[in-house]
Amino acid sequence: MSQVASLTWFARHELNLAWRDWIGLMSGGRKLRDRAVLIGMGIFALALHGVAYAVLSPFFKAGGTIDLAALVMLTGMLVLTFTMMLSQAMESVTRAFYSRDDLDLILSSPASSRDLFAVRIAMMALTTAGMSGLMVAPFINVAALMGGPQWLAGYGVVLAISLCATGGAVLIALALFRTVGAKRTRLVAQIAAAVVGASFLIGIQVVAIVSYGSMSRWSVINSDTVINNVPGMDSLLWLPAAAVSGHLGALIIVLAAAAGFFVLAARTGAIQFQRIVVSALSVATGNVQQKRGNKTFRATSTHRALMQKEWVLLGRDPWLISQTLMQVLYLIPPALMLWVNFGEDAHLSAILAPVVVMAIGQLAGGLAWLTISGEDAPDLVATAPVAPWAVMAAKVQAVLIVVLAIVAPLVLGIAALSMWGAAVTFVGALVAALSAIVIQLWFRAQSKRTNFRRRQVASKASTFCEAFASISCAGTASLAAAGNLIAVVPGLLLVIVMVVAWLLSPPRS
Amino acid sequence: MRQLPPALEIRNLAKAFGEPAVDDLSLTINAGEFYALLGPNGAGKTTTLRMVAGLLVPDAGAVSIAGIDAQANPIEAKRVLAWVPDEPMIYDKLTPLEYLEFVAGLWSMDTDHARFKADELLEKFGLGAHADERCQGFSKGMRQKVALAGALIHEPKLIILDEPLTGLDAGSARQVKSVLRGLVEKGVTVIMTTHILEVAERMADRIGVIAKGRLVAQGTLEELRNSSGDGGTSLEDIFLSIVKDAGEETTAAMDEMEIEGAAA
Repeated sequence: MSQVASLTWFARHELNLAWRDWIGLMSGGRKLRDRAVLIGMGIFALALHGVAYAVLSPFFKAGGTIDLAALVMLTGMLVLTFTMMLSQAMESVTRAFYSRDDLDLILSSPASSRDLFAVRIAMMALTTAGMSGLMVAPFINVAALMGGPQWLAGYGVVLAISLCATGGAVLIALALFRTVGAKRTRLVAQIAAAVVGASFLIGIQVVAIVSYGSMSRWSVINSDTVINNVPGMDSLLWLPAAAVSGHLGALIIVLAAAAGFFVLAARTGAIQFQRIVVSALSVATGNVQQKRGNKTFRATSTHRALMQKEWVLLGRDPWLISQTLMQVLYLIPPALMLWVNFGEDAHLSAILAPVVVMAIGQLAGGLAWLTISGEDAPDLVATAPVAPWAVMAAKVQAVLIVVLAIVAPLVLGIAALSMWGAAVTFVGALVAALSAIVIQLWFRAQSKRTNFRRRQVASKASTFCEAFASISCAGTASLAAAGNLIAVVPGLLLVIVMVVAWLLSPPRS
Repeated sequence: MRQLPPALEIRNLAKAFGEPAVDDLSLTINAGEFYALLGPNGAGKTTTLRMVAGLLVPDAGAVSIAGIDAQANPIEAKRVLAWVPDEPMIYDKLTPLEYLEFVAGLWSMDTDHARFKADELLEKFGLGAHADERCQGFSKGMRQKVALAGALIHEPKLIILDEPLTGLDAGSARQVKSVLRGLVEKGVTVIMTTHILEVAERMADRIGVIAKGRLVAQGTLEELRNSSGDGGTSLEDIFLSIVKDAGEETTAAMDEMEIEGAAA
C-alpha cells in the first residue's frame, strides 16, 4: 500500500470510529440500529428547521439586507459557534493525547506517527465541523431557502471555523504541555474546554441581563450601544459574516486563512505528537505516591468504611468534581435575572433561595450518580457481608454529608439576611438533594466512574426528571421565601415529577 | 470428632438467560479441598460461581456455604466467602493498603489484626514496596494480586477464583499457586476455574467438568482417567474426551487451552 493510500485508509478508519462513537453517544449505549438513530436525528433536524424559520423569517421578510446590524448579529453567531467548536476540539485533542486506546499500536507500527496524527487532527476538524454543522445546518438551509442559494456559503464558513477551532485546540494543548506539564494538562484542558464552551454563552447573557434586563443574549448584540461602537462595514472584522451571506471573495479569504492556520497548527502538533504522547502516557500509567501519616488502620464500621471510601475517591478526582461544579456555572444567568427583575421589590433571600436549591439539586444528582452507579468494584461490595440496603444507605449518607457541608455556609450567610429565608433554603436544598438522590437510586445502572460525562445521555428520562425536580424545588423555595402561598403549586409539581420518575424507572427485582 | 459441613453444597441449581446457562447442577465440595472447575467457554462455570457468590439470583436450586443456607442467610454466607473475578476490580484512586483497609472495614475486622494481615499479604505478594502507591498505574498482574490480597485479608473459609492466573507472569503465578496451596493446607477450601489444564492437573484434589450448564464429570484425576476409558493419560485428553461425549463445541476452546497451557 502506498503512503497516500495508507493515509486515506487511516482517515476512513478514523471517520468510522468517530461515527460509531457518535452513534453510541446518541443511543446512550443502547443497541439501536444506525437507521433508528438517523430517523431520530431526522425528526430533530426537522424541528430545528422550524426553529430556524421562526428566528430568520422576520429578517428575510424585512428584505434580508446585509447592513451593520446584520453583520454584528452574524458575527455574534459565528463567535458562539467557534466557542462551542473550540470546547469540543479541546476535548478531542486531549483525549487523543491521553487515551491509550490505539496509541500503542500506532507508535509500534512502521507507519509515520507524524503523518497518522496529522490525519487524526484533520479528522477531528471534520467531525467537529460535522457535529456543530448539524446544529447550524437548519439555519443555513432556511436562509438559503428564503434569501437565495448564496447563503449556502455558510457551510464553507462552518468548515473554516472548525479548522480554526481544531488548530487552536492543538496549539492550546501544546502550550499547556509546555507550561503546566503533562501531569496537569489533561485536567486543565478539560476544565478549560468546559469553561470555553460555557463562557461566551453565559458572559453575553450576564451582560444582557445586567444591561437590558433580558435573558436573551441577542439583546446585547442588537443593542444601539454595540451597533454605534463597532467598526464600519468595510472592516476585516466582518469578513466571516460577509462570507456567510454569500460574498465569494470573503469566503475564499476566510477559507484560505483558516486552512493556512490549521495546516500550521496541525503540522506543529504532528511533529511533537510522539514526544507528547510518550510523556502523557507515562503520566497516565505512572505511579502516584500517596502520603500516609497514620500507619495503623482506622477503627471503622462497615458503614463508615463505605462512606470513607466514597469521600476519598471523590477527593482524589478533581476532574469529576470540576464537571459537577461546572453545572453550577449555568445558574449564574437565572440568578442575575431574578436579581435584576425582583431585586428591588423582593427580599434578597427570595432570590438566593432558588439559586442555592437548584445548584444543590444538580450537585447532589452528580454526586449520587458517582457513588451509586459509578462503583468500580461492584463484585467486591456485592460479596461483602453487608445487606444491599445498608450499602445504599451508606452511599446516600456520604452524598448527603457532602451536600450538607456545602449548604451549611450558604444557609448561614442567608440567615444573616433572613432567618425564614435561611430555613426555606435549607429545607429546599435538602428536598432537592433527596429528590435527585432518589431518582439516581431508581435509575441506577452499574457503570465506570469514567463514564460520568455520558450519564446524561445514558438515561435521558432520569436527567429530565432530575432537572424538573430541581426546578420545582427552586420554585417552591423562591415563593416560600417570599411568603407566597402559591409555593404549594411547584411543591405539587415536584410530587408529580417524582411519581413520573418512579413510573419511568426500570423495573427492579 | 465433629464432622465439618461441606464447604459448598449446590443442589439442582439452574439459571437461564433465554437459554439455560446452568441446568440442574448439583455439586458438593468438602472443607479443605482444592477443587478445579473446568469447561469450554460458555459452559456455565462463571455463572455457577457467580450464583454461589451471591452475584446472581438462581432461577431454581439451593446453595449452602459451610452449612449456611446462602439464600436464606446471605450475609452470614458472605462472611466466610471470598470471590475473585477474572478481571480484577479495584479502585484506581486507592493504594493497595487503603484498598485492604476498605475490605477489612466491609468485613468488620479487628483493626490491629487487619493491619497485620494487610502487611503480611502485601509482602507475600511482593507488593510491599507499592503499598502506598495508587493502583491506577499498576499492571494487570499487580492489580490481580491486590484483588487476591483483598480476598484473603478477611480469612475466608471458602475462596472462589475465576481464572486467577490469567495475566500473571511466571513468578507471580507461582507465588499465587503457592499461597493457594498453603491456604488449602490450613483447611481453607479453594474453588478455581481455569483454562490452564496443567494447573488443575497439578494442584487440584478434585476436578469437575461442566458442559452445557451441567456437571458432566467429577473426581480425582485418577477417577476421571478411569471413567473416560479412552486410555488418555493427560488431563487434556481426558477433558477433550468428556466434553466431546457431552456434545460440546470445543475446538476453539481447546485451541485456546493448548496455547495457554503451552504459555504456562
